[in-house]
Amino acid sequence: MSHEPGQTAERPARVVVTGPPRRHHGRGRGAPYRPRTEIHEQTTLGHTYVRSLMRTQLRTALAVFAVLAALVAPLPLLFAAAPHGRVLEWAVLGFCLYPPLVLLARWHVRRAERHERDFVRLVEDQDR
Amino acid sequence: MSTLGALLTGFCAAVPPLLAAGFWLGRRTARPSARPFRRAGLGTPVEHATFQTLHTASLAAPPLRAGLTEETARRASRRLRSLLGTEALCLTDTDRVLVWDGAGSHHRAEIMERLAGPLETGRGEAFRLSCGTPDCSLRWAVVAPLTVDDRVHGALVACAPGESAVLVRAAAEVARWVSVQLELADLDRSRTRLIEAEIRALRAQISPHFVFNSLAVIASFVRTDPERARELLLEFADFTRYSFRRHGDFTTLADELHAIDHYLALVRARFGDRLAVTLQIAPEVLPVTLPFLCLQPLVENAVKHGLEGRGEKCGIAITARDEGAEAVVVIEDDGVGMDPGLLRRILAGEAGPSGGIGLSNVDDRLRQVYGDDYGLVIETARGAGMKVTVRLPKYRPGVHPAAPGTGGLRRG
Amino acid sequence: MNESHAVAAVALVVVATALVGAFGLRVSRTTSDFYVASRTVGPRLNAAAISGEYLSAASFLGIAGLVLVQGPDMLWYPVGYTAGYLLLLIFVAAPLRRSGAYTLPDFAEARLASPGVRKLASGFVVGIGWLYLMPQLQGAGLTLKVLTGAPGTLGSVIVAVVVVANVAAGGMRSITFVQAFQYWLKLTALLVPALFLVLAWRGDGAPTRAFDEPAAFREQRTVRVQDTVEIRLAGPLAVTVHGRVDGRPYDGDRISLTAGVHTVEAGSRLRLPAGAPVPAARGAGDTALSDSASAPQGERPLHATYGLIIATFLGTMGLPHVVVRFYTSPNGVAARRTTVVVLGLIGAFYLLPPVYGALARMYAPELVLTGNTDAAVLLLPDRMIGGVGGDLLGALVAGGAFAAFLSTASGLTVALAGVIAQDALPSRGIRHFRVGAVTAMAVPLAASVLAGRLPIADAVGLAFAVSASSFCPLLVLGIWWRRLTPPGAAAGMLVGGGSALAAVSVTLVGPHPATGVPHSLLAWPALWSVPLAFLTMILVSLATPGRVPPDTDAVLARFHLPEEIGGGPGRKENTA
Repeated sequence: MSHEPGQTAERPARVVVTGPPRRHHGRGRGAPYRPRTEIHEQTTLGHTYVRSLMRTQLRTALAVFAVLAALVAPLPLLFAAAPHGRVLEWAVLGFCLYPPLVLLARWHVRRAERHERDFVRLVEDQDR
Repeated sequence: MSTLGALLTGFCAAVPPLLAAGFWLGRRTARPSARPFRRAGLGTPVEHATFQTLHTASLAAPPLRAGLTEETARRASRRLRSLLGTEALCLTDTDRVLVWDGAGSHHRAEIMERLAGPLETGRGEAFRLSCGTPDCSLRWAVVAPLTVDDRVHGALVACAPGESAVLVRAAAEVARWVSVQLELADLDRSRTRLIEAEIRALRAQISPHFVFNSLAVIASFVRTDPERARELLLEFADFTRYSFRRHGDFTTLADELHAIDHYLALVRARFGDRLAVTLQIAPEVLPVTLPFLCLQPLVENAVKHGLEGRGEKCGIAITARDEGAEAVVVIEDDGVGMDPGLLRRILAGEAGPSGGIGLSNVDDRLRQVYGDDYGLVIETARGAGMKVTVRLPKYRPGVHPAAPGTGGLRRG
Repeated sequence: MNESHAVAAVALVVVATALVGAFGLRVSRTTSDFYVASRTVGPRLNAAAISGEYLSAASFLGIAGLVLVQGPDMLWYPVGYTAGYLLLLIFVAAPLRRSGAYTLPDFAEARLASPGVRKLASGFVVGIGWLYLMPQLQGAGLTLKVLTGAPGTLGSVIVAVVVVANVAAGGMRSITFVQAFQYWLKLTALLVPALFLVLAWRGDGAPTRAFDEPAAFREQRTVRVQDTVEIRLAGPLAVTVHGRVDGRPYDGDRISLTAGVHTVEAGSRLRLPAGAPVPAARGAGDTALSDSASAPQGERPLHATYGLIIATFLGTMGLPHVVVRFYTSPNGVAARRTTVVVLGLIGAFYLLPPVYGALARMYAPELVLTGNTDAAVLLLPDRMIGGVGGDLLGALVAGGAFAAFLSTASGLTVALAGVIAQDALPSRGIRHFRVGAVTAMAVPLAASVLAGRLPIADAVGLAFAVSASSFCPLLVLGIWWRRLTPPGAAAGMLVGGGSALAAVSVTLVGPHPATGVPHSLLAWPALWSVPLAFLTMILVSLATPGRVPPDTDAVLARFHLPEEIGGGPGRKENTA
């Protein structure tokens, strides 16, 4: 097959090539490939550490959830019962509820990141 | 590695003919009459017994293929006992009874005492059992050691009410069959180790030529442009640090691209303006996890093909696009291309180490990690450049980047 | 309204979307910095993209329409859509990103290592996606019909074709930039007209009748009913009728309708006096995005409100197009920060629809009667400002509405196509993604064309309810509870999601008990189906302790550990 380098216009047609199937290590969905990394993850840190981090994070999450529930849950009752319920509903749902949502989210992210930093410090201190 | 492979294939090849031969022998002995092959019939009782035996043996095999442990012994023992047709059967390893199937398990301790000899010598033995329990019918036991590569792994003990030559023979045969299964289990294990070793060997093959060329280029700048030389040395350090890192088999596309960047900086120092690289990366696919150093060899290959034997510029395009649950990475050059037949042989591992070794290595690893659906797709012809397409699933169980996936390796 | 402006605006949005999709990609050459091209998407860009994808037709048109019909109770929708992200943030965001999962089925497999649960999750993802796509397509049809009078299905077909062509041809190569662009487009398209509308309202003497209950006509108005509607009157009403009401023909007669349900046939004209309360239509044709059918005005019980709150608060985390976007974040910390920005962005956007809703109650109340409430946002600029200014603002809103259909539909199609190509189609290959994309769109398109007259209005609410009762328990328990088992997860999803689906289907197609507690419990099932799903998942998991996946501890460690430790064997080797 002759070719002239550089003359892109007269390029021969490309042929699609793939390798032969390697049936002996064909890993389908059912047989996942398990690398060493996972084993490492399991052994480098005690489960106690992980569990304590999880508990701390869950506590923060539940605290935020409790505040949200306390904020939102009484509202429908309030709107139904209060004398100017409709007007109140327009104001609260249309505007006032959004800032607290964003503030709660920011507070949670700060706490969660601080927990993670503390955790990293704790673990690294253990190493030394 | 090749010896192990040959051994393995040898075994795989040897077992079916042996079974077939046994089956045929069974038929011959069952039908001594003038018509040896009467295909139309529904089988004689002996034939049926043979089928039954083969079936039982095949059911007992899978557990044993996982090696000799309490769990596998327990799962295999019932089948083995029905194969032998005896009152009690016991499997041991070298220091304790793994399972006792059938009656009379109070003989465990006694059996273990009597096993010391056979386990030491690897030869079978038969002995009387002394029993004080009135309703225990077991009076006699035969021991057949289980050996793999001349090493005794344990023993099979069959117990019966009385002495029986048939049982001695049968126990010896079953023990031999179990030994073969254990041998295969050993091979399975070494094959797994082999694959792991292969992955380790396959990953990160940074070419010595590249190291020498890079150092030569850096050296050439040391006097004329020390600042440039310093920069290149840092690029070189970054790239080699990435290539030689010792942990984890996977990385993220972002990190792999950084490594490619360092690599290209070094290549460009050597070839200057002859190399033009275009990059189109959909940012969505940057967090995708992929086998470590599986794109850099493809880029290296493209550079090599692009610059080979041509005076003028060479263009390389790297694109990564998002396709739902997959990322598609395409590396294309307008270089000399390759003969499709040769490429096919390279990918099949049949050609020598002439170029393209990177391609078959990457192809191997991709198929190993993601399965055969995810091998390289290469479009090429002589003089037509080359286009390599890699598909990477965004998620695959067990595939996680080992390093912090956050930033690049670049200083500052 | 001037059609040409609006059509031009819609065409402009479609073209701009295609252009940003094609050229928004970071292209870099040898000379420029490679580093830029391989830099991962930052929280702000990703947050704009998530918001752009999330603010659908239901947000852009539907909320104002709902508020017009049913009053401020409907403002729980935008609040819920926003608060859903807070719950997603605190319970799911970072661990989900760290799991490495791209889709919800991936998550199920990563956590439970069970192909069965994976398949089940795929089924729910596709179902929820279709439910969510259907109203997007219907909304597009409605928008085009209101703007140009084109047949209702044309808009649906246009959106479907544009999205599938873009996604399947790989035209939207960088969907992140497209979606981020769409967010700002949508915000502008709603904000700018809103400013002018508020000015016009102040010029009108700033009437506050919007907050009255129910909405009433400010002046005598003639309403032409396009499709036959059933109207519900709270009290007797005197109207002048040209056409047929309750099967009897009238020609300019003044009649008094009693309280109750009346049928007004297509083509009739009603003249209503000033101050008359606006009667609500039931089962009208084009209530694609509002759900007047399931909860008539003024009869909204408290538990229905709570059902709505639970569905929207907990349903967001299980929406397929929301989950896949988190994969774009480089790590868990970035995923969290992204979510906070998303909260801010969509919170800001949701300040606007109530404004339109309130203004529509004063300036376009007759839409309630014709059932065309979703058109309120589109019609207000013309109604209140008029002239060229009104036309231009109307065109801007129409463009924004189309951006809403396009972005949500593209995001959903990409997410669904991935799942369908991976889990439903037999073998995987390059073309399967395209087949997946076509399948993802074909079914809801067919449904929206065929079921055009049904009150499939609740589709979005239904999608949220099903998601809240199936994926919310799976995600929350999967991330925080180590004793979850595959049978437990499967049972919880089937019982929760299945019962929510069944309940709403009964109210939509079955013979309904018109009102009362049973009806609203069926129409708003989240109130009972979410606790039921959690309970089932926990009890069945506790009953099958042997089925806890063996590497649960390792998996949970990966979900929760910060990346610098989670991937830390190397670091550990170095420090040791």
